[in-house]
Formats: sequence, structure tokens, C-alpha cells
Amino acid sequence: MALSKVDLANQVENQLPQNLVANNLPFRNIIINGDMSIAQRGTSATGITDGNTYHTVDRMKTQVITAGTWTQTQDTDVPTGQGFTKSLKMDCTTADASLGADDFLIVRQDVEGQNLQYLKYGTSNAESVTMSFWVKSNKTGTYIIWLYAPNASNRQISKSYTINTADTWEKKTITFAGDTAQAFTNDNDSRLRVYFILAAGSNSQSGTLATSWENYVTANRAVGQVNLADSTSNYINITGIQLEAGTTASDFEFLPVDMNLARCQRYYQVLADGSEQTQSMIGTGLYFSASLMVMAMQYYTEMRATPSLDNVSGTNYYRIFANNTNDYFDDFFLISPNSTNKVCDIRNQTDVSGTAGTAGFVRTENAASFLAFDAEL
Amino acid sequence: MINTVTKNYDGITNEFCSYQVTYINSNRVKSVPLDEANKDYQAIQEWIQEGNTVIDNPPE
Repeated sequence: MALSKVDLANQVENQLPQNLVANNLPFRNIIINGDMSIAQRGTSATGITDGNTYHTVDRMKTQVITAGTWTQTQDTDVPTGQGFTKSLKMDCTTADASLGADDFLIVRQDVEGQNLQYLKYGTSNAESVTMSFWVKSNKTGTYIIWLYAPNASNRQISKSYTINTADTWEKKTITFAGDTAQAFTNDNDSRLRVYFILAAGSNSQSGTLATSWENYVTANRAVGQVNLADSTSNYINITGIQLEAGTTASDFEFLPVDMNLARCQRYYQVLADGSEQTQSMIGTGLYFSASLMVMAMQYYTEMRATPSLDNVSGTNYYRIFANNTNDYFDDFFLISPNSTNKVCDIRNQTDVSGTAGTAGFVRTENAASFLAFDAEL
Repeated sequence: MINTVTKNYDGITNEFCSYQVTYINSNRVKSVPLDEANKDYQAIQEWIQEGNTVIDNPPE
């Protein structure tokens, strides 16, 4: 057939692969790394108590306020036949059977406002969103998903779900109405926070569950929530989190690992990890003066904001090899005015001793050496 | 939990260029840019508001 006679319109319409048809659109999942497959910081963290930070699985923040002690792992226990290979596991190692009024335990993901504009919040066309996920725990009962939107006003909505059978993977689907009253601020800050509540004290449970969007009231966010922290036998596994526009849940959107990793690296990226290779190349350094070594670095992908430089400090953890000489140093620091969300200027000016104008290879020198950039929400 | 916060000074310009943060029970060090969108920067401002003091040893 001559190319000029190909019916391109019908060819396209008839041959669209399944993953490009309506309600199965690419990048429909608002949650990044919902399959828990990326864990740049490590696969296990023990002794998690009070704090609000990231431990293992990328983009999954853990907040503990006096609600036991926990081990978090990127686990291989997954629902059979669903395509997942990893889950996030929280395992209680010190129990808190009697929570204080303000105590709290959650796993959450923060979403940038600029990624939420298509939901049309703050208008009469505000779209519902549907959340689906797989969950498994020994502790049955009522759990809460809490959406919190810190914008011009702080807004919230909560829905409950039930873990019916102990030690069994169950799929849950929850639909939240759109908020017609308030828009998401269009910026790179945290404008929607998706909380998996696992334990909550009485101050979060003494009101009426906020099943419709309302201005923030602490007492209404977690009514009915069981206390997962009440026994060291307790654990929970979660995977396959998907939050998408509309009132129905589509199949989980699996992304290629390179794309999933790149999306996570907008928020956190590891440059060198001595535990993977003790003498790992970092890049090229230049002696600006005898006691000042400069590295100009470009990130793997543009980051959300100018990142912090996250590094492990220790005696002779790093080295520059220049002029056929090894020069050891302990850590790096970042020069803020020269660093952006695209490039950075990192230095050592406390330990090095070299010849101005010479360049060399900068490497890790210890299994504990670690260098990363952090622009998380 | 933040242990100490120290001002870093650029060894070329002598200007205040970032914060160096250490954490309790950790050998992790964070070098935090002067960027209000950075969450570590925000955490430092809250830490200061709680009454904590930044170590400041400007170059002579």
C-alpha cells in the first residue's frame, strides 16, 4: 500500500495500546513510587521513634510522635499475582498500648501544588480522586486515610477503611470528593499530604470524622483509628498506592525503573555510597588554593528546590588524587549562592592541602562514606 | 533531631553561604542552602525560633 493511502486516523484509533486508552492514561498516579520499588536511602531502618523524616522507601515519609519504636523495611512480601515486587513494612519493636492525647504514627507522601492543578480544586469543576492500595496487617479493624491540604487555608478530608482478615493482603479503594472551596497553590511546595494513619491519640479522635472537605480540625482527622502501636506483634505492609482523578480505580500504573527513579531523584539523589563500593568515584575536584578544593556538580535530574548536601562525616572518609598524591578529607559543604536546583558548588576548605590550580579525582574512601542531595518535601 | 547548626562561610568571598547541621546520635552532616523552599532550611528557622543558637564564627 502506498503510504499516501494509509488511513492514519483510523490506524491510530484502532491500534492504540491498552495503556493509552481513556481512564488508563500515562502518569495518572499522583503518588510517586507507589509500588515501593525505589529505596535510595537503604532497605532497612531500625529504632525509629520520634521524628518526621524519610528512612527507606523513596517519597514515603514517616512521622512518629511517641507511638512506639519501629523497624521500617523495603519488604519483598507482596500480593500474589499483581506484579508488585516490593512493599513498605512497619514492624513494631517497642509497643505503646496507651497513647497520649497528641501521639501519632503515620506514613505519608507530600505532593507539589504544581502537579495538582488539573484537579481544578477551588472551582465547581473540582474533580474527585480515587485512592487504591494493597495492605496487610496482623491487626484488623478501622484505619484512616487523611488528606490534608495546606494552602491559603488548611483543609482536610478523611475516609476510613477496614482490614478484615489478619495476615492477608487486601485491596482497598476509596474515593474522595473534590474540594470546590479552595485551590491548590501553584508552586513547588507541599500542597497535598496523603496520610496513612496507623495510630492516633484522643486529640485526633474526639470529634466527627471529616468525610467531607472542611477547614482543619485536629479532632476530626482520625476518628475510629486502631492503635497499631499497641503490641510488638504488630506490623503493616503497604504497596500499590495509586491516587488518580475520577471516581474509579484503574489498574496500578507501573513505570519503568529508570523513570520511577528519575521521578524520585527530583526529591533525593545519591551521588556516592561507600557501602556499595568503598572507593567510589564522585567526580573531579580542583584546588582553588592550597587549602580549598572545589567541585562543580550537575544533578542527575533537575531537583524540586536547591537541595541540601547530605553527607556522612568521618576522618579521611574522602580523598582527592591530584599531582600523583592522595589528599584525604572528612566531609563537604555546599556554597549556597552558587548552587541551584540544577547545579551545585561543593567544597572542602578545612582538611585539604594541595597545589592551587591542579585538579584530581575525588573518591569515597570508607564503607560509611555517603553523599546525597536532598530537596524533599 | 538537630544537634548543632553552624554558619558556613565561603573561603573565597568570606560570605555566609550555608548552614552546617549535625544531628543527635548520627554522623550525618547536612549542608543546607539559604533557600526558603528547602525543608531543612525551614527546620533550622523553626529550631532557631524555639530558642536555639546558631554557631557563628565568621572569618577574620
